[in-house]
This record gives sequence, structure tokens and C-alpha cells, in this order.
Amino acid sequence: MQSKAGYLTGKLIELILTLLLVSLLVFTAFSIIPGDTARVMLGPQASESQVDLLRAQLGLDKPLPVRYGEWLWGLLSFNPGTSYAYNMSVSELIGQRLPVTLGMSAIAMVMVIIISYPLAILSARKPGRLGDQICSVIGHVLFAIPPYVASLLLILLASSLFSLLTVGTYVKPSDDFLGYVGCLLLPSFAIALPKIAMSFKFLRSSIIEQRNADYVRTSKSHGLSDLKILVRHVLPNSNVSSITIISIILSDILGGSLIVEQVFNLPGLGRLLLSAISRRDFPLLSGIVFYLALITVLLYFISDIASSLADPRIRLK
Amino acid sequence: MNRITRFIAIASVFALMVSVLAGCTKKPADANNFAVVGITQEPGIFDPHTVVAAGDEEIIFNIYEGLYKFDNEGNLNPCLATDVEISEDASVYTFKIREGVKFHDGTDLDPIDVVYSLKRAAGLNEGQDGTALVRELDSVKDVQITSDNRVEVTLEESNSELLSYFTTGIIPEGYDNCQNAPVGTGPFKFDSYTPGQSVILVKNDNYWQKGLPYLDKVTFKVCADMDAGLTELANGSIDIFPYLTSDRAKQLDSSKYNILSNGSNMVQIFALNNAVEPLNDLRVRQAINYAINRKDIISVTMDGAGVELTTAMSPAMGSYYDTSLDGTFDQNLEKAKSLMADAGYENGFDITCTVPSSYLIHVNTAVELASELKAIGINLEIKQVDWATWLDTVYTGRQYETTVIALTSTYAPYDVLERYQTESGGNFINYSNSKVDELMARIPGTIDENEKVSLYHQVLGILTDDACSVYIQDPTTITAVSTRLEGYHVYPMYVQDMSQVKLVSN
Amino acid sequence: MPNTHKNRSPEASAFYTAGLILLGIVVAAFIVSLFWTPYAPDATDAASKLVPPSLEHPFGTDNFGRDVLSRVMSASKYTIFISAAGVAIALILGTVAGIPAGYYGGFTDRGIMLLGNSIMCFPGILLALVAVAVFGPSVTNVIWALGLVFAPTFARVCRVGTMEIKELDYITHAHVMGVKPARIMAFHIFPNLVPQLLPATVIGLANMTLFESGMSYLGLGVQPPDASFGKMLSDAQSYIRVAPWLIVFPALMLVFYILGLYFISEGLRVSLSKGGK
Repeated sequence: MQSKAGYLTGKLIELILTLLLVSLLVFTAFSIIPGDTARVMLGPQASESQVDLLRAQLGLDKPLPVRYGEWLWGLLSFNPGTSYAYNMSVSELIGQRLPVTLGMSAIAMVMVIIISYPLAILSARKPGRLGDQICSVIGHVLFAIPPYVASLLLILLASSLFSLLTVGTYVKPSDDFLGYVGCLLLPSFAIALPKIAMSFKFLRSSIIEQRNADYVRTSKSHGLSDLKILVRHVLPNSNVSSITIISIILSDILGGSLIVEQVFNLPGLGRLLLSAISRRDFPLLSGIVFYLALITVLLYFISDIASSLADPRIRLK
Repeated sequence: MNRITRFIAIASVFALMVSVLAGCTKKPADANNFAVVGITQEPGIFDPHTVVAAGDEEIIFNIYEGLYKFDNEGNLNPCLATDVEISEDASVYTFKIREGVKFHDGTDLDPIDVVYSLKRAAGLNEGQDGTALVRELDSVKDVQITSDNRVEVTLEESNSELLSYFTTGIIPEGYDNCQNAPVGTGPFKFDSYTPGQSVILVKNDNYWQKGLPYLDKVTFKVCADMDAGLTELANGSIDIFPYLTSDRAKQLDSSKYNILSNGSNMVQIFALNNAVEPLNDLRVRQAINYAINRKDIISVTMDGAGVELTTAMSPAMGSYYDTSLDGTFDQNLEKAKSLMADAGYENGFDITCTVPSSYLIHVNTAVELASELKAIGINLEIKQVDWATWLDTVYTGRQYETTVIALTSTYAPYDVLERYQTESGGNFINYSNSKVDELMARIPGTIDENEKVSLYHQVLGILTDDACSVYIQDPTTITAVSTRLEGYHVYPMYVQDMSQVKLVSN
Repeated sequence: MPNTHKNRSPEASAFYTAGLILLGIVVAAFIVSLFWTPYAPDATDAASKLVPPSLEHPFGTDNFGRDVLSRVMSASKYTIFISAAGVAIALILGTVAGIPAGYYGGFTDRGIMLLGNSIMCFPGILLALVAVAVFGPSVTNVIWALGLVFAPTFARVCRVGTMEIKELDYITHAHVMGVKPARIMAFHIFPNLVPQLLPATVIGLANMTLFESGMSYLGLGVQPPDASFGKMLSDAQSYIRVAPWLIVFPALMLVFYILGLYFISEGLRVSLSKGGK
């Protein structure tokens, strides 16, 4: 049996190795992109000597390993360099867009929790009843609708039923916080829908499973009420796996927001990413990809640790 | 703690004083005295000499001014120069510099600034490698101050067509930070740029044209695409939105927006790489020209708002445009099929069309073309690439078979046709006709206007005879302008002139 | 194979029926489109742009005057083809990496799983997006990108399954008898993994379609003038108020396909778990 510290160090080493591998993957992928960055920046009219000069200024003439080293160090010290296309620091650019992507993810996550938990608990109380079955069917259908399709349908609905929700105008949180939340509600809902279904389905089955476990039967015979059993036994135990499920959901939500913000014309990371790709903006592109991967890696790491704390048995595996 | 409080106290008193003072000197400003212009291209370059993208030029038109400046009818008017003398053989241009003009940083415009700027554009300043930043000014040999207020530009060879390039921006002597902090003499000063969101310009209070501009602030707001802009228009967060299609414009509330339309002076071309099989065969190129239906293409891509073209120039170019070429290639499938048969392709062939994915109009044109060309057996496979790859492989590398793109130009006929010379860097269709080369070489040295017009007509005629590519349309620029504004003019160029725009007086 | 066909629970049959009906609609459209569509899916007609659904055009026409029904039919071809080819690649990569990882354990296992985890660290769509953007949008690249993104999922299933199976008596027996590991993995372990891989494959088809349509929506998948559901939807967005039929029909077909697959995988899950008890 491993000790707690041993488990932690093992996980940490895995984390660091994963990050290194991720960075290597990102760098290699971008080193082989066709298209000459300097040429793209200067446009077709520029002369060969101008292009060479710029290439040297950007350090693109250095050997690959040197560039990898410099790039990785820049990322790790949170100074990923200057965007070619915007001539601004990458962290500043990402910082400007982060409120959209993170805000959307956060709101979507809140929606997932406040909708799926109560529904799952209600549904699991009497499995097989009509209400439960309706919820399950709706859950399956929602699960099958890609977020961007849900967005389109929501826009269609919103624009024809009530013109209250304006689509396509982003409000900065610093200008008007409520307006900011308001403009993110619809896109967040679109991302949340399939995840609500996922979380519902998962919670429902794990509650049912837990309730059939021996110790809950015992408590029941002791006369504890359903609600108390639920709060004291069932939820804490299903929490272990819901930590894992939540981290998967969060990473999916993050990915989903990249597409959905296109539908709603929100100035988030996804749009920045696509523009970085089309302008061969390596520092920006790699910055976005690496930091998004970093967030995901940390998320999985934290969820691993959290579930091992919640359930020591996991460490044995 | 104490020190901080004191600092805040002092600062607020100071701020109060400043605002009181400002309030005394200025008329109370109208809080609505601004305009928001929607743009669909991310701005990138603010340096007047290195700017390439049309989307950047339309913004900095308000910041920088050249010795001459175009107006909305395409006339070239004196601006920072009051006058120009062109030598008999068109090899020396002498400009008289306007007095009493101030830069945005408060310094006066002197001839020395003009010399610096023109030399910088022509790549002649110290530290430059001699390559012109403004390609067309490469032929400038020297720029000197002659007398008090005159600047003399000497060219390597005669060129009577160069005046339109002296519209390039004049900046203060020695200034090299135009990219991040643009300084010019234009009606608006650069205030800020937030990538992906907006460029903000503010009024130049010291503008040399008294009374202009009217607006205190102009915001160029980045919209993801036309439809995003349309939504913002409907929400009232944008006042002016150019480059609409007419079906979109029809969706707008006419009591809130005026719809202006004008030829764009662009030439949308289905470019055929003349160097690859089977497009090197004149009959094949003619067959393609006869096979397509320009009216349908315009209907599908622009909802009918475009002018059909059969030659390399837009009718917006006035007398230089040759009206006798109109209708040369009206759709004629029989003729197209027999031309294909003559060329030995009665069963057609497969060919790819590489289009830049960021331009919906060009992608849509390719889709319509593919459908129409099926009639003569040509199977057009569409390959979308991003803008960077397009520039790299199609425009610079010329590794393509066909493409669809719009060629923009300044309001100068030479600029439109320059690219059809065999050795031109812009000759991405690999066209080569010694007659055209010879005619084009004669134009810069020609002074007589009628002779010049006739030379241009000859070139256009040859290009059409050779069916060097397929000219499709001059797409109409449709602009929606909020009814709270007036004085906006649509230019036959990629320009947003905000200096004349003002609030509608009640 | 577990006996999924005998003693099917009513729940499982309900899932199978619903799934097969939904999937059947899309597959039928696909098969018919191979021989016949009402109009040529790419044929434009400037004279009949944006015609609402009518007898002539049951699903209406788009902004090019193309028949939406014909396009929906031919779009199903790409959806089915890309998801199937992508899953095949993911399945091959996943088993080739996953079975040895589970069989040998130790260093091999750690290395392979590290690589898999690194790939899974990216939000999947991000990796696929970047890969396709880097190598250029085309059907082949989309298939490879999706295959790569989904390979670790299959590798995990194989690894866990192998770890359980290799402890079984007859495998240890074969090992002692001197059967080569490659042979054991291919002929003894792999066939036993099929019941676990089957639901993973079905769900993989559905998930891949989610990704593929998202990429097509961003213009990084099937190229025009060919039709795909994602591209049709993104083109339709401009006309959302004037021509909602451009959204409704491709969206329905897309959801039918994904939902059909989900239902079948649910059916499999139910009958497998019942079979296990």
C-alpha cells in the first residue's frame, strides 16, 4: 500500500511529465504549419529582404531546440511573448478574452449543478415512474444535441418568441456586470444542456446504486427519513465519482465554449484562437492551446487528489 | 496610509480644477457627438507606409494625409501640398507644401517632414535597405527641399502616373512609431486600439481645414462577420456599417437607417493560372468565359447588387474604362462547348479552385461557378484555405490552378493594370503578352491624356481578347448609415471618410 | 459475446427499437442518396433562391437555390463515413496501444498511458481543431484528427480489459506453454475485449459526429460545395429569421443520427449489465 505522500509525488511527477509532453506536442505541431509567418505579416507586396529581416527579428531563424527552450520558459514564467499579429503581449490578449470564456464556463457549470442535482434526486426517489422516465428520455435527447445546434435553436426561439434577449452584443463585466451575465446566459445554457443530461444520468444511477447498498438499507431500518439518508450517506458517497465527472464536464464545457462563442459572436478565446490560426500567430496560438491544456491538466490533477481524499480506497488501485 | 489619502485628495482637487478649466474653455460637449463604424476585418497595421490590407487603410485614412488626397468622386485634390509642378518629361515632381498645418503631437508640418516621409516610403532613409515600403514609389531617386516651401521629387525615369501615390501619409521627421502611436495631420487623432474589439479615434482640434471634423469621437468596432454587424446595427450599437449585401440591407428598419450604395471599384476575378494545363489554352479560357452566367453569380453572391464585368477594370474608372467591351462574354453554352471541343476537351476536365475561406463572397462565387461549369464538363473542386495560406501559395507562390478574389486598387488606372505585365510581382495569373508589356511601358511617359486613354483601352482590349481570366463583377458597396448622422459619403475605394459626418441637426 | 439477443429486457428492446428507427432514417437517406436524389445536391438555381418547403422542394431551397432535401441526403454520407472511418482509426490505434499496455504493465504501460493522458489533456475539440487547421481542412485530415483524439479512450478500455483477462487461467496457461505474447494478445485477449469495445465503438461514433459537425460548422471539415450537416447549419445562420427551414432539417437529421447511436449504446449497456448479473 502506498503512503499518501507517495501517491501525491507519483501524481505530481505524472503531472509534470504530461505537461512536458503536451508542450512538445504543441510545439512540434506548430513548427510544421505550412505558411511563412514573416511573409504573412508583411503581406504579398513585401520584398524578400524585408521578410528575412523580420524573420530574424522574430527569432525564427534560430534552430528549433533553442526556440523550443525559449518558448517553454516563456510559457512557464507566464510571459509567453508578443503576438505577431496584434503586436501585443499574449498574456494581455488572453486576459482580455478570458472573461468571456471563463464566465461562460462558470455560468454553464452553475446551471449544470442547480438543474441536474435536484432533478436527479427527485428522479431517483422513485425510479421507473413516469416523471423519472420523462426526465430520462429528455436527458437522452439533450445529450444528442451539439451545443452549437442548441445555440441556433435557442436563437431561433429567442428571436421569434421574445425579443428580450439580445443576441450578439457583448457587455464587458467592468461596464455592467448584470448585462455581462445576461449576454452570456443563452450561450451558457446551450453549452450546459448536454452536460445537464450527462450529470443527471450519472447522478441518478449512482444515487440508486448507493441506496441499494447495505449500509443505507440498515439506516432505513433504523427509521431515518429518505432525505436524511440522502444527505448523510448517498450524496457524500456519490460525490467521489461526481468529482471526476465534474472535471470531465468542465473540460468539455471549456471546449464547447470555443464553438458556441462563434455562434453568438462573443469575443472569447475561441475567436482569438481561430484568428491566431489564420494569421500564423505562433506565440498567441501556442499560448492559448498550452494554457487551456494546463487548465485541463490541473483540473484532472485536482480531481484525482480530491477523490483520493474523499475515498482512500482509490489510492489502492 | 496617510500619504495615500493625501495623494488622493490632491489628485482629486487637481482633477476637479482641470475639469473646471476644461469646462470654461470648451462649449459643453454633446454626449452623442460620436459615431460607431462596424468593420469586419481585424485591424493590424497603422503605419501609413507598410499598410497592406484594405481594412486598415480605411481606418488610417482619417489619421494620415498625403500631399494629395482622393475625394469621394475619385478626384485627386491637393491636400498637404497646395500645388504641384510636373516637369515636361514627367521625371521631376515639385510640390508646394501647405503652411499652418499641425501634426497631432502639436508640431508644425515642415518640408523636412515631407522629405523624411517620402524618403521613408521610398526606402531611401538611412538604415533602410533601399526597398521601397510603398512599392510604387520605388522609382523615386531623390527627395529634396528646393526653396522655402517646395519639395522636389526626382524619379529614375519618367512617370506621369505617379501623382496618385503621393497620397501616402506624411509623418513627423524622424518618427518611427506609427504602428503603436500613429501621428499624422488628419482630421482624427489615434486614441486606442483594443484587439478584437475596437479602434478609437478622437477629434483633431487643430485640423487645418477649419470647421472639420464635426464628430468628437469615432469608434471602429470589430464585428465577427456581416451578420454580427447586422445584429449590432439592429441593436443600435453601430451607426455605420459598410459592405452589406442587399438582402441583408432589406432586413433593416428604413426609418432608422439610410442605405447608400455605390460601385466599389473592385474587380472580382475568377483567376485562371495561365501557366498550367489546360488553362494555357486560349480556347479553354474563352470557353469558361462563355460558360458562366455573371448575372446569376451576382444574384447569388450579392443578391443582385453588382455590375457585370468582362474586362480588368471597373466602370467606376470613368473614361479609362472601355465600354465597347461590355457584353463580350454573354453566356453562350453552344459556343463554350465547341471551344472546348476544339481544344480537345469535349469531355471536360477536373480542376481545383483555391479560395480564401475568410471571404464568403468568393467562396460562394466558387460554389456557383462549380455548378455552372458542370454544363461544359468542367469539374471544379473547391479548396478553401485560410488567408495566410492563400497569400503564400496562391498570390506569392502562384501554386494554384484557379482562384476567386477581388482586386482592389487606388483610383488610378495604372494601378489596376500594372499587374498584367509579364514581370510584375502582382501578376499572379502568370499572364504574359509582349504587346501588353510594351503598351504598359509607354504609359508612364505619356503626357497627353487622350493618348493615355487610348493606350489603356488597347491594353483592356488585349486582356479581354486573350481571356486572360474571367472577370465577374464590381460588387456594389452597400452601406447602412444611422438616420441620426448625415454627411457620410461612399467612396469608390476602401475608405471610411469620417471628417464630413455630423449629427443631424434637429 | 453475451447473450444480448435472448432474454432481452423490455428496457433494452425499447432502446434498440428507438435507436434503430432513428439511425435507420439517416442510413436510409444515405443509401438512397447513393443512387438517387431529387435534384443534384450541388446544382444551383439563381431563379429559385430561398424557396420555403413546398411540393417541389419538400425541405425548401437554400440561398443558392439548391434543394435542401437532396443536400441533407448527401450530407448523411459524410457524417456516416467520417464517423465510421474515424472510429476505425481510433479503434486500431487504441487496441494496438492499449492491449500491450495492459499486458506488459510497468514501464510500457506508464509510457503509453502518459502519451494517452497528454492527448486527453486538451479539450478534445481543441486538439482536433488545431490539427485540422494546421494540416488544412479536408475530410481525410478530419478523420485522422478525430481518430487520434479518440484513440486514448479505446486504449483505456483495452488496457483495463486486458489487465482483467490476463489473470484468467487459460492465458497464464498459454503463457507457460510458450505461446508468443503477440499471439496471445491477438488471438486470446482481443476477442474477449469485443463485448467491452462494442458499446465504446457505438458511443465513439456518436461523439465523433458531434465533433465533426462542430468542425464543419467552423468551416474546417467537409469543403463546399459538398454538403455536411455542420456546414449547412453555419451557412443557414445568416438566414435564421427569413429561412428557418435551412436550420431545422439538417439539425433534425444530425440529432437523429447521434440520438440513434446513443439509444443503441444504452441498449447494449443495459443488456450487458443484465447479462453480467
